[in-house]
Formats: sequence, structure tokens, C-alpha cells
Amino acid sequence: MSVPLDEVAQLVLNGLVAGTMLAVPAIGFTAIYAVLRFPNFSLASHVTIGAFAGYVANAAGGWPAWAAVVVAFVVAGAAGVVTDQVVLRPLRPAGALTTAIGAVALTIVLENVVRFGFGNDLRGYELPIRRDWQWAAVRIGPQQVENLVIAVVAMVAVFAFLAFTRTGKAMRAVADDPTLAGLKGIDAERVARLTNFGAMGLAGVGGVLLGLDTTIDPLTGFRVILSVFAAAVVGGLGSIPGAVVGALTIGVAEELSLLSLAPAYRTAVGFVAILLVLTLRPRGLLGERAY
Amino acid sequence: MDNYLVAMATFACLYALLALGLNLVWGMAGMINLGLVGFFGFGAYVSALATRRGGAPITAGVLLALVLTAVAGAIMALITARLRGDYLAIITLGFSEVVRLVASNEIWLTNGTDGISGIPGPWRGRVTPETFNLIFLAVAAVVVVLVLAVLQRVRHSPYGRVLRAIRDDDQVAAVAGKHVIRFKVEAFAVSAGVLGVAGALWAHYTSFIAPDVFVPLLTIYIVLALTAGGTGNNWGAVVGAFLVVFFLEGTRFITAVVPGLGAVQVAALREGLIGVSLLVILRLRPSGLLPERLPRVAS
Amino acid sequence: MLTRSAHLSRRTLLAGAAAAAAATSLPRVGGAQAAAIRLGTLNPLTGSGGSYGPSMRKAMEWVAQEVNAAGGVLGRQVQLFSEDDQTNPEPAVRAARKLIDVDKVAAIMGTWASAVTTAVAPLCWESKTFLTTVSGSDTITQLPHQGYLIRTQPNTHLQIGKLGEFLVSLKVKRVFTLAAQTPFAVPSQKRLAEILPKGGAETVGSVIYDKDKTTFRSEVDQALRAKPDMIYLNGYTPDCTILMKELFKAGYTGAKVAQGYAVNAKLLGSLPNEVTDGTYTATPSPSVESAGYKRLAKVLGTDDLDPYSCQCHDHISLVLLAIAHGKGEATGTTIKDHVRNISQGNGVKVDSAVEGLKLLAQGKAINYEGASGPCDFTESGDILDCKIKFEQAQGGKFKFVKLI
Repeated sequence: MSVPLDEVAQLVLNGLVAGTMLAVPAIGFTAIYAVLRFPNFSLASHVTIGAFAGYVANAAGGWPAWAAVVVAFVVAGAAGVVTDQVVLRPLRPAGALTTAIGAVALTIVLENVVRFGFGNDLRGYELPIRRDWQWAAVRIGPQQVENLVIAVVAMVAVFAFLAFTRTGKAMRAVADDPTLAGLKGIDAERVARLTNFGAMGLAGVGGVLLGLDTTIDPLTGFRVILSVFAAAVVGGLGSIPGAVVGALTIGVAEELSLLSLAPAYRTAVGFVAILLVLTLRPRGLLGERAY
Repeated sequence: MDNYLVAMATFACLYALLALGLNLVWGMAGMINLGLVGFFGFGAYVSALATRRGGAPITAGVLLALVLTAVAGAIMALITARLRGDYLAIITLGFSEVVRLVASNEIWLTNGTDGISGIPGPWRGRVTPETFNLIFLAVAAVVVVLVLAVLQRVRHSPYGRVLRAIRDDDQVAAVAGKHVIRFKVEAFAVSAGVLGVAGALWAHYTSFIAPDVFVPLLTIYIVLALTAGGTGNNWGAVVGAFLVVFFLEGTRFITAVVPGLGAVQVAALREGLIGVSLLVILRLRPSGLLPERLPRVAS
Repeated sequence: MLTRSAHLSRRTLLAGAAAAAAATSLPRVGGAQAAAIRLGTLNPLTGSGGSYGPSMRKAMEWVAQEVNAAGGVLGRQVQLFSEDDQTNPEPAVRAARKLIDVDKVAAIMGTWASAVTTAVAPLCWESKTFLTTVSGSDTITQLPHQGYLIRTQPNTHLQIGKLGEFLVSLKVKRVFTLAAQTPFAVPSQKRLAEILPKGGAETVGSVIYDKDKTTFRSEVDQALRAKPDMIYLNGYTPDCTILMKELFKAGYTGAKVAQGYAVNAKLLGSLPNEVTDGTYTATPSPSVESAGYKRLAKVLGTDDLDPYSCQCHDHISLVLLAIAHGKGEATGTTIKDHVRNISQGNGVKVDSAVEGLKLLAQGKAINYEGASGPCDFTESGDILDCKIKFEQAQGGKFKFVKLI
């Protein structure tokens, strides 16, 4: 079966765009894993919280898209810190598994809080619907280009933060070796709070990007969560550059799968990718730890 | 009213089987299975297809479900046994989603979203519905007792001690010469088998299954049941399951009384309460109602 | 509107209960006359059908209220017991068990999702409880329900047959289907492939998508690659909203057609006109001229009634009239045996339960014509025929095109 090149080109393009948007919450997930050492499944509900915060700012408040992104970052980040302090931190002494279960319960509660306030109906942001740009046989939407820019800016900011600021370096120190970091006088709890704020803030930004591109409802976060996990695992849990590479890989893989699989199976791709990675190269593409 | 109570007790027995299965891997061996609804559904479809399409007798269908689901569980565990529990958590979450997708889309096999109806039940159609319900409750209860007995034996056996050692610290267990991987895979397989049996029984009880039945929320109900009843304790699993069904049905009667809320908000409240209950228990009494009482070691 | 529904439900129950209490304190004429008639409603108040359930329930509560105010059915008040099926078979089965065993209802009315109906049906026919549904999947009436099931929604065979006829009349040549993963996705496509060639058209492909996704770029790409001049959107409101946006963004200029329950007034309101203009919709024609429809529209506060609320209005009316015809015995078997006596035939045409009850009390024969259509049933429980109304979206509103 010969596949036309332009079809593949379109799928790869779609995949790269989707992957960049996926990278933002994936970075958040993997950062919490690196610093706090447990998979925080409540990321799903923070994506939803960010999506709705952005919606309120944009549809109700009439603010432009970039302002909605900032609002989402702050609101989701704050929610992340508060829920971690109140709900997850007291569970940490009981072990990573208990905390992970607690995170699942937390995500259910938060999702239903959103449902309580907003109901189940789909909501769309107030944005003009513009036609796609076409070159040759590929097309891309202006909104997607905007989302790409936002995602890239967010990622660059994260990298810069970690590489150049004192707090960022402290985070990397705690991630590498918490005992050593403690000896050097770094306050692990403060780092944990900041990590939660940033990571969940990124999750919220991911939610807004979804909302800008499509529509949102209380299940928005839950739908992308498997792809987010896949991105983080494929890239290597705990590695932020890994999350970006993993996200792009998953994004493109999900699109290319359409060449042979029914579209309904797209989420299965993430699952298969995780299985493959864990069987062949458990530490992921760029990860260091797999124990 | 009696028929209703009998039906709810039957559902509680099926939930109890799920909780017992979860207890084997989580409570006793420290491995998490967040996709237990996928194994539940897998077992249900195997038995439904075997009896409805293949014409096999019900017992054969249930046994086939037991075996095939156990195999699926073994494969899952083989891939992830070497790794941290977090990876198992992620993989099992994904597994249940894939089962749902396959069930929805492979119409030639599973009838897709239309589901499989007319699944035979023991003596269904030859006795009154009330009698059928009573018979089935008896069957379910017997299975629960059997599984409970088997798992209690495991708990008190040297095998159970090894599992607990692995749960508490698998590196120490490995050093002590125990083949950790083998134990983990076996435990996971047996647990998956139990989940598959629960699924098969469900299919034969309700006579209809569809992908929509097997939602992740069910996994959370079972996790709640086990945590509330007592992780590590098999009786706790059973008690917890009955508590959860009581809770789920109880909120139905209560929410009829809550004023001023729309239907969606009531539903959000009910679901949110499940999450809150789990968190409260994890926080205040993580060992559950019936804490694990370690069997005394002969001195 | 949801809050109002909850109040209405409690008020109705209280009113019903008070009336029942009052009725039981009257001197009895024959033992069972004064006991309330117990009926159950099982609708999707949450879950993917959650946008329809509340108004379905409200329609039934309203009919019960009207009937009670006019004296009930042969002196007996109507008491409704309402549950949420959560658009999911597992809680639906538990809710049905409660309605049947605890509330002892004679009928369960208004199940929406096909999987819910298929799961609940065996419980109903085994306990001789009558089930009325709006589910459209063909297999439902093929279940061995022994007459304890009727549905007011045209089945896929009927609906898509008429859709095919309409498309042929528009002289389109190449039809592509974008369908959500539901029980009617594949049967619809098959039926279209049967009908279209008779008019010189053909189906050029179809894509079945998971309706819970929020992006469909690649599905749209696949559709456009087949170069259709008509795209059939066979899904629900949330996914159709996204698809229409995507088709616009992708620069598709051909025609679109969808089911009226998906592309409805709400959808038109949420999208700019340039995205929706020209889209055709197919709706089982509520008898818009019937007084029943008009009264219901006023009660539910909208001119554009969804077909499910109309059908539920008819469900409870049919059930109550059947009970009256069966001399007030409120059991599922009575309803099963008498429903076709009042739903079709040569009697006086009535469009409301109140009117019908009055005529029945005078010994006359009636033929109930509902707000959702003529409501005449085959032996297997399907409706005999139903007119499908075709409209087109123009400037954010629907304009009538044809009735087939």
C-alpha cells in the first residue's frame, strides 16, 4: 500500500503540534516525579481546572488568549500547592503508593468540584474561528500556530528557570539527591511547594491550550492523562528534556497510527508505547533512573 | 424490597471478589492494579462470548475466564515486575482503557457498543426471577467463601509470608534468596484470575454487558472498599465491599432529600463524596476498619 | 432550569402524596380504587445523555400533574418515582431494581442510551414491568421482551432510509459519513449504501471516531481526501460542534447533514453562522401542529422541543390511557395488553391524556396521537411510521425544507 507523501507530511505536522501541546503538562508530571518521587495522578484535574480558569477569564471576562493562559497558570498552580499541602503531604509518610492512590482520589474530588460548578456541558472559548492556512497539501490552523508559540515559550521559560535561577538549581539538587541537598541547606519543603506550583501551573496551561484548540468539559484532563503519562515514561520519568522528546514522539506516533489503525484506537498508542519502552528500555529515551 | 436487598447483596458479593483480588496484589504483595476494571471486563467478555457464541456451559465459561484473565495478568506483570510500583500503576490504568477500546471497536468480536445480551444464567427462565436472584446470590456467596478460604490459606502459609516480605521490602526478600519476580507474577496472575471470575459472574447475573459498564470509577469503588475495610485483611475486603454498596445505594435515598440542587450537582456530590471518603480514610485510618493482623509466627 | 426541575419533582411528589393521602381518607368504593398508581422514570440526568434527561423527566412530571389535577385515572392519583441512570448500564440496573422491587412501579419510562435500555429490559420483562424507551438501536425491539417494551423513536432502518431519500432528492453524488462509535454507526452506513445507489449517488467512505476525543483533525482530513459533496455527521452535539468547526477551518465548502438532536438550536447558538449555514438536519417530526406539542413547548419554555421530551410526554400519556382502558389495574401486564387499544385504531383522535381519560370514562374508543408523532406500534414495539422533517440552518435559525 503506497502512502502519499503529503498524507504523511500532514500527519507528522499534526503530530508535532499535538506533541508540543502535550509537552507542557508532561513536563509538570515528570517534574513532580523528579522532586517528590511519586506519580501525581491528580495532574488530570489540574489540567481541567486550568482549562476552566482560562474559560472564565476569556469567555466571561472577555480577556484575550494570552491573558487566559496566565490566569490558568496561576489558578492551577495555586490549586496544586493548596491540595498538596492539605491532602497529599500528610499522606507522604505512608509511602509513594499511598500518596499515588490519594492523588487518584483527589483528582475525582476536584473533577467533581468543577462539575458541580459548571455542569457537564461542553464549553468553548470566545475566539474567532479562522480558516486554516494551506501550503501545497498540508494545512495548519492559526490557532495551532499560536498554541505552538505559547507551548515553546513555556518550555523555554522552564529550562531557563532551572538552569539559571537559584531556586531552579535548588530544585535540580533536590531531584538529584535530596539528602545532599538538605546538607547544603536547601529547604526541601519550600522546593516541593514551588515545584507543585510550577508543575500544576504547567498542567493548567496545557488545559488552556486544549480549550483554545477545541472545547472543554470536566473530563478534559482525564482524556489526555494517558498520553501525558506515555510522554513522560517514554522520555524517561524524572527527566524534563525527556518529557519534551517523549511528548513529541507520542504526538507523532498517535497521528501516524492512523495510517493503519482506526482513529478510535489513538489512545491505545500511548499504552503500547509505554509497554514497548518498559520492555525494551525501561529508563526511557533520556531518563537515568528506572528502578 | 426483599428482591432489591437480595440483588444488592449479590452486587456486594461481586464487589467483594474484586476487592479480594485487589487485596492479593496490593494488600499482600504491595503491587497496585489501577486497571482492575479492565480485567473484570476481560473476564466478563470471555465468559459471555464462550457461552453465547460458543455454546459452552456456564461453568466452562467461568473457568475459561479465570484462566485467560490470569494469563493476561501474568503478561502484564512480567513486563513490569522489575520496575517500581508507579510503572505498574500507569500500565494498569492504560490496560483498562485499551480493553474498553477493543470492546467498543471490534464489533465482529464483541458487538461493539451494542453489547452482548441474552447471556445465559444458571436456571434463568426455568424459575421465577425471584428464585433466580436467590440462587445466584447463593452461588456468588459460595464463590466468595471459596476465594476467601483460599486466600486465607495463602496468607497463613510460607507463601504468604514471602509475599508480605516482598511488599515490605523486595530488596531484602531478594537478598534472602526468594525469586521475587516469580512470586510477583504469580500473585498478579492469581489476582487477575479472581477478577476475571467476578466479571464472568457479573455477565451471567445481569445477562448483558457492554463496554460502558466497565468504567475506571469502578476501580475507585473497589480501592475504597479495600482501604475502608482493611488493606491486607481478606475479611476487610469483604466487609469493605458491603460498606461501599451500602454507601452507593444509601446516597441515592439521601440525595432525594437534599434541596435546591440540580441533578448534575447531585451526581457530582455523590461522586465527589466517594473521593473524599477515600482521602479521609487514607488520612485517618489507613489500615482500615479491620487492620491486618499478622499471623503469629511459631517461635 | 435544572433547579426548577428538582423543585417540580418534589412538589409533584408532595402533591401526589397529599392527594393520595386525601384520596385514601375518602370512603372507599371497592378496595383498590383509591391506591395511587405508581410509575417510574429512569432518565440520563448525568453522563453523556445528561443534557436531555432533566427535560425528559419534567415532561413526564407535567403530564402526571395535569392528570392528577383533573381527578387522576379512575379516581386514582399518579405517583412518580424518579431515578438517574447516569447514562451507564451498571447504575441503571441498580436503579431499575430499586424502582421495581422497592417502589413497585408498573412501568419504567424514558430510558435513553441503547446500552441502558438493553441492560434494563430483561429486569422489566422478567418482573412484568412495562418499559418505554427513546433508544433507537435496531436490536432493542428484537429482544425477547414478550410485549413489555415499546419505543417511540424511529429505528435506524426507518430513519436512515428517509435520510437517503432526502439526499437523493438533493442530487448529491458522493456522501461521506463521520460517525461516533455507537450501535447505529455501522447499520446506518449499511442502510445508506443500500438506498443511495437507487438515486444515482454513492457512499464514498466512513470514519468511526471515539466520541470522547476533543480533536478530530485527522478524521476530517480523511473525509476530505475522499472528495465528498455531502458529509453526514452521525454523532452527538459535543462532537458535532467540534467537527463543524474543523470542517470550516479545513476549508470544506460542500454540503453537510446531521441528525436534529445533534445539530440543534443550542449548537447553532454556540457557533458563528458562517460555520453552520447550509447544514441540513433530519428530525422525527413532532406533530408541531398538535395541541399537545404546543402545550408542552410552553411548559418546557422553548419553541424547539427536543424529540426525547416529546416522546416522554407520550410515554406517560400512553401508559396512563392503557391503565384506564384496563379498568384502572395498574400493572405492567395490563399496560401491555391495552396500550395498542388506545394508541391506534379507529377511535376518536386525542392528543392529551386528560382528554383521552375523559372520553374513555364515557365509554368511547380513542386513538392517541402524540406530541412526537402518531404513536402507532407494531407487535415488536416499533412505531409503524414516522414523518421525518428536514430543515436547513440559515442565519442561525432552522428553515423548513421538506417532510418525508
